[in-house]
Formats: sequence, C-alpha cells, structure tokens
Amino acid sequence: MKLSRPSIRPSRIALHAVMILLVVWSVTPFVWTAQTSIKFTRDVASKTPVLWGYETTANAYRNFWLDSDDVNMWGVLAFVLVVAAIAAALGLIGRRARHGWPWFLGATAVICVALWRFPRFWEANDEYDFLVNSVVVTLLTMLISLSIGLLAGYGLARYTGISGAVILIVALGFRALPRTAFVLPYFFGAKEIDEWLTSTGVGSWNFPLIDFPGIDTLQVLDTRLAIVLALVAVNQPFTIWMLRSFFIEVPKEMEEAAMMDGATRLQAFRKVIIPIMWPAIIATGLFTMLLAYNEYLFVRVLAPTEWTLPVAIVSLTGGESSRTITEAAAASVSITLPIVIVIILFQKHLVRGLGAGAVKG
Amino acid sequence: MSTVTLKNLIKDYPNGFRAITDLSLHLDDGEFLVLVGPSGCGKSTALRMIAGLEDITSGDIYVGDRRLNDVAPKDRDMAMVFQNYALYPQMTVAENIAFPLKLRRVPRAEREAQVRQAAEILELTEQLEKKPAHLSGGQRQRVAMGRAIVRHPALFLMDEPLSNLDAKLRVQMRADIAGIQRELGVTTFYVTHDQVEAMTMGDRVAVIKDGILQQVDTPEGIYGSPDNVFVAAFIGSPSMNLYEATLERHEEAGGDRYSVVLGDQRLAVPSEVVAERPALTEHLNRPVVVGIRPEHLEDAAVVADHPDDQRLDATVDVREALGAETLVHFNLSAPSVDSGDPDALDELRDSGRCTARFSASSTARVGDRARVNVDARHLHFFDRQTHLAIRS
Repeated sequence: MKLSRPSIRPSRIALHAVMILLVVWSVTPFVWTAQTSIKFTRDVASKTPVLWGYETTANAYRNFWLDSDDVNMWGVLAFVLVVAAIAAALGLIGRRARHGWPWFLGATAVICVALWRFPRFWEANDEYDFLVNSVVVTLLTMLISLSIGLLAGYGLARYTGISGAVILIVALGFRALPRTAFVLPYFFGAKEIDEWLTSTGVGSWNFPLIDFPGIDTLQVLDTRLAIVLALVAVNQPFTIWMLRSFFIEVPKEMEEAAMMDGATRLQAFRKVIIPIMWPAIIATGLFTMLLAYNEYLFVRVLAPTEWTLPVAIVSLTGGESSRTITEAAAASVSITLPIVIVIILFQKHLVRGLGAGAVKG
Repeated sequence: MSTVTLKNLIKDYPNGFRAITDLSLHLDDGEFLVLVGPSGCGKSTALRMIAGLEDITSGDIYVGDRRLNDVAPKDRDMAMVFQNYALYPQMTVAENIAFPLKLRRVPRAEREAQVRQAAEILELTEQLEKKPAHLSGGQRQRVAMGRAIVRHPALFLMDEPLSNLDAKLRVQMRADIAGIQRELGVTTFYVTHDQVEAMTMGDRVAVIKDGILQQVDTPEGIYGSPDNVFVAAFIGSPSMNLYEATLERHEEAGGDRYSVVLGDQRLAVPSEVVAERPALTEHLNRPVVVGIRPEHLEDAAVVADHPDDQRLDATVDVREALGAETLVHFNLSAPSVDSGDPDALDELRDSGRCTARFSASSTARVGDRARVNVDARHLHFFDRQTHLAIRS
C-alpha cells in the first residue's frame, strides 16, 4: 500500500470542524467557570458579559476556603503547587515502578501531611473539613475496594465453577440497579444500627484503641464510615468485574511457573501476578477514585452534616446560601483541578481500563 | 536417587471425563523419558499431576521413596518448562533465572554466580539485562530452560517446550536440550505430540492415547516392533501403511508357503516371518492388519534384484522429491485401517493410500505404472479386532 500525505478533502474539513465544535462544547463551561472564579462580583453581575480585560482577584478562593480576609493568596497557591508537584512526581515514579505502591503511599502521605498542616498556617473554613472528608472517603474507598476486588477478581478469574458464575451474575445485577434503589435501605439500616448502639449503650463505650479525638459516641449515620461503606458496597461489583477481566488476561501458567519455582500460591500472587497486574490496578483504582470523589447522592443522604466537596458546592448554588456565584465557581475549580491533574498523569491507564478485556496484555 | 514411579494413576474430571486411566511408569535416575501422543490424549494432564498442578483422583506418585501425592508443587523439587515459557514479563532475564533461587533465600553472591553459569550454558550472557518481551522465541525458550536448570532439581518436567518455535530452531533446540540433560544428568519427563522429538530425544518413549498408555520402549523398540496399530501408525514419518489383508497358506512339497492378499494383489511372505510368529497361523484365511513402513518399499526399476513374488503394482499419484529420497504416493486397492489417531489427516484415512520412500534415483513419474519391491521380512501383523501386534 502506498502511503500518501493526507490530502485536504471536504470530508476531512467537516470532520475536524465537528471535532473542534465538540471540544469547544465541552470545554467552554469549564473555562467560563474558571473565569468567573477569578472575577470581581461586579464583572460577573454586569449585564454584558465581560470576557476579557477584567481585573482578576483571588477573593472567591479566599472566601470559600479561608476564615480571614487579609491573606496573601500567592502564598497559599505556592503551598498547593509545591504539594501537588511533589505528589505528582511520586505518582509518576510509582506509575513506572514494578512495585508502585510505596511511591503511591508516599504521594498519599505527602497529601495527607499537607492537609493536616495547612490549618496551622492559614485559618481554614468549614469547607476545608469537607475537603478533608473528600480525601479520606476517596482513599479509604479505593483501598478497601481494591483489596477486596483483587482477591475476589483473582479467585473468580481462576475458578470457573458454576458458583463463581452465579456470584458474577449477581454482582452484575447489583451494578445494574439504580443508585436510588440502595440509598434508602442503607439509610434505614444505618439508622437501625445507631439506634441499637444507643439503646444498648455500646455507642458510648470508650474503646481505647479507636478513641479518636472528636469522636465521643460510636455511630454510623453521618460519619465518613457510612459513606465509605456505602460506596464500597455499590462500587465493588464494578471493581471485581474489571479486575477479573484483567486477571483472565494473565496466563494461568504464570502462577503455576512461580509455584514450580518454589513459591506458595500467595507468594506467586504477590511476587508474580500483582506486578503484572500493576497497570490494571492503577486503572481500576482511578475509576474507583473518580466514583468516590464525585459521589453526591449517598453523601447527601447518609451524612447530613459530614459532607464531601460535591455536596458543599451544590449547597452554594441552591439559594440556601448567601455566598456569591464567584465562590461557587472557585469551589468548582478547586474540586476539579486535582482530578484533572490525576487524569493527565494516568490517562493511558484510564483508556486501557475502558478497553479492559479487549486488548491482550 | 531421583527415580520416578507412577503407580496406577487415574484422573477423573468433575464432568466425569476420565483423562488418565491407570497410568504406571518408572523412570530411572537420570533417564530422559518422552511421553508422546496426539492432542487431547492426557499427556499434559499426566505431567501436571506429577508437578502437583492437577489433583490425583487415585494412584501414587513417588520420587525415590517419597510419596508426593499430597506435597505442594513448591516442595516437590521439580522444575518445569512450559509450552508458552511462562516467563515473568516484569523481570529481566537474570531476575527470571534467579527467581527460584531467591525464593529459596540463596545469598545474592551465590545467586549471581549460578545465574551467570546457567546463562553461559545457554548462551544468554548478552541477554541477561533484557526483559522477555525483547527476546526472540528461541531466547525465551532458553530463559525458561535456565530457570529450570539453575535450581538443580530432582526432576525436569517439560510440557511441549519446542512447539512454539519455528522448524529450524526446533531442530537445534532439540539437540541442545537433550545435550544439557545428558550433561546435568537430571531425570527428565518430557511431553510432546511430535513423534520426531520423541524418537530423537528420549532414552525411552512412552506412547499414550485417550489417557491409556500404549507402549513404553526405547525409540528403536517402539519403531521396530510396535505393540499395536496406533503406535505403529503414530511413530514414524511418513506413517506406516496399514491395510486389511488376508494371510493364506499354500501347502507344497518343499514346505508350506505363505502369502498376503492385498486387495487384488498377492504378496509372498517368507516362511521365516511366519516361523517367528507362530500365532499367525491362527489367523490363516482370516483378515489381519498388515503394516508396511514406507522405507521397506522400493522402486523395482532401481533395485532389480528382488524376488518377483514380493512385488506390487501401483499407479503413482504424487511424487515428492526431497533430494536424499523421493516420497511416492500411490493407491493399493486394499482397504486401509484407521489407526485411531485424531490428528491424522482425513485424506490419509482414504482407502488404499500408500506412501513409499524410494531412492532419489527413482524415475517414477505421476501416472506411471510402477513396480514396487516390498521388503516382506519387515512386514508387521496386527489382529484385526484388537489391533494388537501378532508377534509370538
């Protein structure tokens, strides 16, 4: 076949026009929001939209996150950028390493330490607690979902008996049901547990090991725990199915070879299978992360006051709040940027995850 | 002493399929035994049972005096080479070969020395830092060998290790593996569907079909006196020609004379052939299976000095000049016998098809009516019902 340079044909022009239109269509709202977040209220409120040449300000960010009016936002930005850069660098190394988890653990630790230290430098708002909630819920959901998903996915990929198929079909059924079908049962279930904890007095016991500061009574409803448990439950079928499809691509001979070489089944899993699965674990982890980070419904119902960021942002736009539209925009940008960074870093894995099972590894 | 003994091994699958029926085998210390059979005959299952990767329904496996039935694969002290090599893609060649040693907590210095030594034997020294994805098929095969030999195990298990290589490389690796095995003296259980590998590599060959052991013998023994029709047809390339024929006796003054009626032709059988197999006389005037190896057929135009009553006439269908010899296919009107090899091509089951290995100087052309010398001293006889060899 002769390779020629693509010629300019009307069909190509049309194709590109459509693609450009689609990009503009999806990016415009975000650009608009980003612009709004750095404008003064008078420009946002003006009748004719001010698209350029406006005066910029970080007031919206300051008002949303901080409890003080005279903070130099450049300092905050520098802090956030340094933390993000360190975490991203560790993530990049972990993505390439054979055993990536120490690096990802490091990145997570950097973020956690930063979140912990931040209020010591600047006085933060309630919204800051919601950010912490978001991070904690996301990380815990990822950790639990992946742990269960790896073991279950491996087992279900290797075991081909009828009961394995039944588990998979049931899991798929739960995945297919609408979220709203679960949220009320979870709510009532959590309520029942809390009532039991209160009535028996167990809730007010003092457990020395889990005596976290700020937790006086043991309860489920309105805690991060409730959100994590619910998210793990609804997300687990997806994690299992996705990891299973990756495990199936790993030849059975791999762990058999390891066992012949002198490994136990667990060693074979840890030392041979997991390193091969590493890209798949990253992909599945990313999908779980997006799900937990973006969750609205479960948080709204199961945690009436322990919000995560999506709920906090929605509360700004509903008219219940006197906050301005610029703050809502600032909040939107703040919640989106970390995800954008993660997706840019790991987009290859996400694409691979979307095509799971289609490509032989 | 790494002798291996299999006693009455049986493997039933949950769906009721019996993969292995009553398999008993013994390997001497340092012996190279090849288990050969057509696809789906249970040979890989047998190997995997020895490895511990497959449960044993009943029967026993011993290495030396140690019963291994309930021993985990990792504790069996066996090394296995897989058909697809099963190299660990995330590790370099050196790490792949060192992996079994690492699991055994061999100190780093000793580990590196042993890896280097194995790499030298296998000519992999240049490749040690590469990942398996960057190796050729032959190199990957050698890494898999390296992972096996570095451990000095009691037993090598090899599951069709050459079947993913191209033909030329296969011939070379065949010799290499056999050479390494002899050098190391490790007892080896080798599974293949390729009867050429079985013949060239094994100290002894075990032929298996449908989970049932057919015959165990040296390559020469298996080839020269196959126990049944299946072994006769399976071992040897081109295959032995097998026909239904009738053995007749002509009583004459100078002693009885015998002949075989092949379709519409008659072939004299030297009386010593019958004398060696007294049981043949019980099959007189009844159909038996007669086998003729292709190399026992020769163009009468090349070798004129041959008894005239030990000749057949046939029309040449296909001629394949291979240089050193010429394969000639023709048709005898006698009915062929199906050996039961599921891998055999259907056209080979066609009635009367015959393959002969003529000298290269044969001038037989397609369409010619050829005279074919039959070396009747090398005929094989089998019972038509049981397909067992008539030898005694």
